[in-house]
Amino acid sequence: MGALGHYLEEEGIATVGISLIRPQTENTKPPRALWVPFELGRPFGPPSDPVFQKRVLLGALRLLERDSGPVIIEDFTEDDPRAQRDPAWQPPAVPAGAGDNSGDGLAKRLGAEIPRLQDAHRRWVAQNGRTTVGLSGLAVSEAGHYVAEWVRGKSPPSPREGYSPPLLLRFAVDDVKAYYLEAAAAGTARPSSRQLGDWFWNESAAGSALYALRDACLASDDERLKLIAGNFIVPAARVRSTG
Amino acid sequence: MTRLTDLPPAQAKRLAELECPDFKTRPWVTGPALSRRRVAIVSSAGLVLRGEDPFRGRDPDYRVIPSETKPDELLISHISINFDRTGFQEDWNVVFPLDRLNELASEGSIGSVAATHYSFMGATDPAPMEPHARQLAGRLKSDQVDAVVLSPV
Repeated sequence: MGALGHYLEEEGIATVGISLIRPQTENTKPPRALWVPFELGRPFGPPSDPVFQKRVLLGALRLLERDSGPVIIEDFTEDDPRAQRDPAWQPPAVPAGAGDNSGDGLAKRLGAEIPRLQDAHRRWVAQNGRTTVGLSGLAVSEAGHYVAEWVRGKSPPSPREGYSPPLLLRFAVDDVKAYYLEAAAAGTARPSSRQLGDWFWNESAAGSALYALRDACLASDDERLKLIAGNFIVPAARVRSTG
Repeated sequence: MTRLTDLPPAQAKRLAELECPDFKTRPWVTGPALSRRRVAIVSSAGLVLRGEDPFRGRDPDYRVIPSETKPDELLISHISINFDRTGFQEDWNVVFPLDRLNELASEGSIGSVAATHYSFMGATDPAPMEPHARQLAGRLKSDQVDAVVLSPV
């Protein structure tokens, strides 16, 4: 991001960047940056908090009026209030975590779980007016089915022209995660990303299936699959042995 | 939950110490008061419009996001899964603060909002992005943009 700012500024456009990783910004030395203490993925802070977001945005934009650079790196010191757990949040009702953990068993559990979250997901869409499911271009049931086939140990052909099977698997996994996390956040409670992630990875059949999928793909001879498995299925902070 | 300190130590160190280009110049562009600036967002979140081909890897080019884009039309296709997406799912302003920019323009804090915004895929090596970034500068100028907010994830 700092490099982009450098190129644009060299071309005559003034820039100011949000910095999420201060040491990186210190290395890049962009013309202007506002470091924020938020989690990665939230450069403007808490969702659904326009007042807070505007403080961040305006804090960054005001650096454009300084004449003390380059380089300006300033700190925004308020933390994201939505990083706190919401004790009122209740995870969606899904079947208990224990069960058949074979590939076939996990695929069946995933296939059964997706429709159980449909009502919650509809509530989410009604509440927020949007969904971020859609990268694979498949309906979520189809994306789930495609992922489930991989979990079963099969190598299904890609249903989308121009998308290799490993690439489509990556996008289908992203869509399944988005569907679950949106469904889990439906309602008036305001769960933190950690609460949502704990539920998805520790409680849902989808989480168990993706751990198993990662392990299976890592054991594959297909280098592209290994790449997908190692980097694009289970976040680094969630990687563990499935035993 | 994905602050740098939440990541495995090796990955956190890699991110913190990520090799950055050693630029020989320190460009610095000044301009009019903020209340007269025309502002565009340039994101590195791998944002794409629904139905558009997602970023497939470390693609060095950028995608175009018109100001009329609705929240339901914008998706993240960033190659990394090691950042929170639930904030963006609930409210696109967490990553793409277009509503906030429009409010600042209505209040007179900024002059106006650009007609078009842009997204790169941030995990890309900066060198192949350079020609695209320089070409983008021309597009920004043709839209009279004189201030860019860079939004990472």
